[in-house]
Amino acid sequence: MLLRLDNVQRHFGGVRAVDGVTLEVEKGAIQGLIGPNGAGKTTLVNVVTGYVPFQSGSAWLETDRISGLSAHRIAGLGIARTFQNIRLFKDLSAVENVVVGMHSRRPDDTLAQLGTLPVFRRDQRARLNEAHRLMEAAGLDPGEVAHRPAGTLPYGDQRRLEIARALALQPRLLILDEPAAGMNPSEKQGIRELIERLNQEGLTILLIDHDMQLVMGVCTRVAVLNFGRKIADGTPEEVSTDATVIKAYLGTGSEREVSSAPGATGVEEVADVVKAAGRTRSAAEPATAILDVRDLSVSYGAVNAVRGASLRVAAGEVVALIGANGAGKTTILSALSGLIRPSSGTAVFDGIDLTSAKASTIVRHGLVHVPEGREILGRQTVLENLELATWARRDQTAAAAAITAVMKRFPILGERRNLRAGTLSGGEAQMLAIARGLLARPRLLLLDEPSLGLAPQMVDEVFGAIEEIHRDGTTILLVEQNALRALAIANRAYVLETGQILLSGSGDDLLHNPAVRRAYLGG
Amino acid sequence: MDFLIQLVTDPLGFWSSHTLLISQIAINSILASSMFVVLYSGQLSLAAPGFMAIGAYTAVLMDIYLHTPLALNIATGTVLAGIVGIVVGLPVLRLRGVFLAIATIGFIEALSLGVILNLPITGEGLGLKNANADPLGGINLVLVSLVVIVFLLWRLTKGRLGYAWTAIRQDELAALSQGIDVPRYKLIAFVLSAVLAGYAGGLESHLNFFVDPNEYGVPRTVQVLTFAVLGGSGNVVGPVVGALFITTLPYVFQQAGDYIGIVSGVILIAVIIFRPQGIVGRGGFAFVRPRWWPTARASAPSTG
Repeated sequence: MLLRLDNVQRHFGGVRAVDGVTLEVEKGAIQGLIGPNGAGKTTLVNVVTGYVPFQSGSAWLETDRISGLSAHRIAGLGIARTFQNIRLFKDLSAVENVVVGMHSRRPDDTLAQLGTLPVFRRDQRARLNEAHRLMEAAGLDPGEVAHRPAGTLPYGDQRRLEIARALALQPRLLILDEPAAGMNPSEKQGIRELIERLNQEGLTILLIDHDMQLVMGVCTRVAVLNFGRKIADGTPEEVSTDATVIKAYLGTGSEREVSSAPGATGVEEVADVVKAAGRTRSAAEPATAILDVRDLSVSYGAVNAVRGASLRVAAGEVVALIGANGAGKTTILSALSGLIRPSSGTAVFDGIDLTSAKASTIVRHGLVHVPEGREILGRQTVLENLELATWARRDQTAAAAAITAVMKRFPILGERRNLRAGTLSGGEAQMLAIARGLLARPRLLLLDEPSLGLAPQMVDEVFGAIEEIHRDGTTILLVEQNALRALAIANRAYVLETGQILLSGSGDDLLHNPAVRRAYLGG
Repeated sequence: MDFLIQLVTDPLGFWSSHTLLISQIAINSILASSMFVVLYSGQLSLAAPGFMAIGAYTAVLMDIYLHTPLALNIATGTVLAGIVGIVVGLPVLRLRGVFLAIATIGFIEALSLGVILNLPITGEGLGLKNANADPLGGINLVLVSLVVIVFLLWRLTKGRLGYAWTAIRQDELAALSQGIDVPRYKLIAFVLSAVLAGYAGGLESHLNFFVDPNEYGVPRTVQVLTFAVLGGSGNVVGPVVGALFITTLPYVFQQAGDYIGIVSGVILIAVIIFRPQGIVGRGGFAFVRPRWWPTARASAPSTG
């Protein structure tokens, strides 16, 4: 056994980010670690690598106890890692980045090099040669990239350079935190081949990724986290058919109405709930749309986050946009609300061109964005947060009435009106964010991941609120990773994969579509 | 302009008529190197004048009361500055960025109010008379010191220590993941910086008949920071060029008279706008190198 974690715990305040995880990684394995957003995967990695102190439990790397050691000691013992959001030394050249990685096994030459220049030169040449070899091993062309500042490399090359730098430690265990995030399918294939090749050369790898095709395809074993606990551990086949795992990923339709019978897939249960709701749905795109998006593409530097997405939303609809992490959902919403500019394509909302209008103009026309992560003002009270949302209105009596109305809709906000918004729970904060959005008098409300990081009961409440808002006549475009929950309330939905619309249809159709499940679980 | 003309037409006369200025440039350059070391390791420490005061007062007090030789006086001041550097550095280096800057200014103020302005032995703020000063004779020692220090720092930045400092400056968390003991290397840089500042203080006190407590306050720290920013802190030569530039500015623009402050302000702003990495960038003198100059590395086509 190479890495052994025993009952590892890490709580942040009241949040049990990692709640008693026991995990063993065998030597020579590719161990996968998956779980929905907020499941505690990155926290677990940060605890194991010493970035976040242990709270309780223990961790061993072969015979070395690593719990309680500082991050640089753990790295020195042979656990190398990459970071979710690439942390290269941006201004150093690529080859210098790799040379830095040799630090812990390089003898202290400080005094030697002050005098003996030739010896230092020879050693440095050896280091540079080794760095070139490591870059080649990570699939980079040293002749092409070695002397370019790391920050100027294309995105995929930066990911590979981070792996090359990690290899410079000559690690016993390599932890890859979302190495394929934001990559297109062919780049992902390249990463997959790289992981397999490194493993064949004898390196043990712990892989965290949201791309199920990658994880299920490459790992020998997969562990699944949810709400800080390990809910499954086994071969990819075992894990991808595990009922608890499917439920954790696709979400449940509703805790109150769905029985969690063993062996149930979750999908049929939610379909029943949807049928019971008895809504009529049309799969066809509406002829007249309040929002009309065509061939929208957005790129961040070298990353093409959205590639030619087209979608339409008619007045009075709830439309869901679902897809795995990094599929481009949030990017589409940000492009629609004018926060980022698309590189090509058109987006028209009620006669105004969203690709060129100012963000403030877009809001005034009634397209209101409730962002992921809520972005409420934590140091202001709930009431102050709401008052700020009506600040630009001329008619302050109407504004006060509107605030009273949203407090009636969200009674919990009325109760907590004088509390600081930062003390609210995640669900309450989400309510506040939605309430604030409503005060901007939306005709089209963009909701980004309203259930992110919420406990199941809170998810029910938030979705209940969304349905009510819809009943009162607001059109909603909903981005959600809890796909089943979103499909259950949506008239229509679009499935997004790596920046492209894969499928569209009524909520019902998509619920039963195997491709939807594949987009999430890679099965 | 007369200043520059004399430098070109009559170097020997320039040397003898501006000995004190040249010494002052060199001492400022050593101070700038002290600032370079902390900036190079990613720490915005403004403590240099404090350590300088320790070096200066120790050397002069030893001369007055113990009559020990100059070398021993300066060495003791330097070592003492290093020891105080460890004591101050251990708690203070947990702070980052502007918080570290404020804490180090706090150190300067505490030292100034608590020791320099308050104790009978330091003259209670009136300064010290230094009868054995030698304003002109110190120039060789000062220049040799500068050359040796710049050379050693240049070598250090090329080795394991230099790589570790650079990594910390660029991204502390990433540096940890490469097995670099971040607190240790930060402390090394901080103490080395204190030692250099203490040494510069000792040298400076030897050039002046009077140790002036006002020399070691916040204005001095701002001046030293300006050397580093103007010259560029990515390369050991940068701060030295910055010190040279700023120290000679009033002489080059003698005609500006009282308006020298405006002239240097405009030049500073211009440099920061048009060359934010400093006069000497990270690539040494790449900027002044002509286009056709052969470069060691083949330039890769930029597609990013």
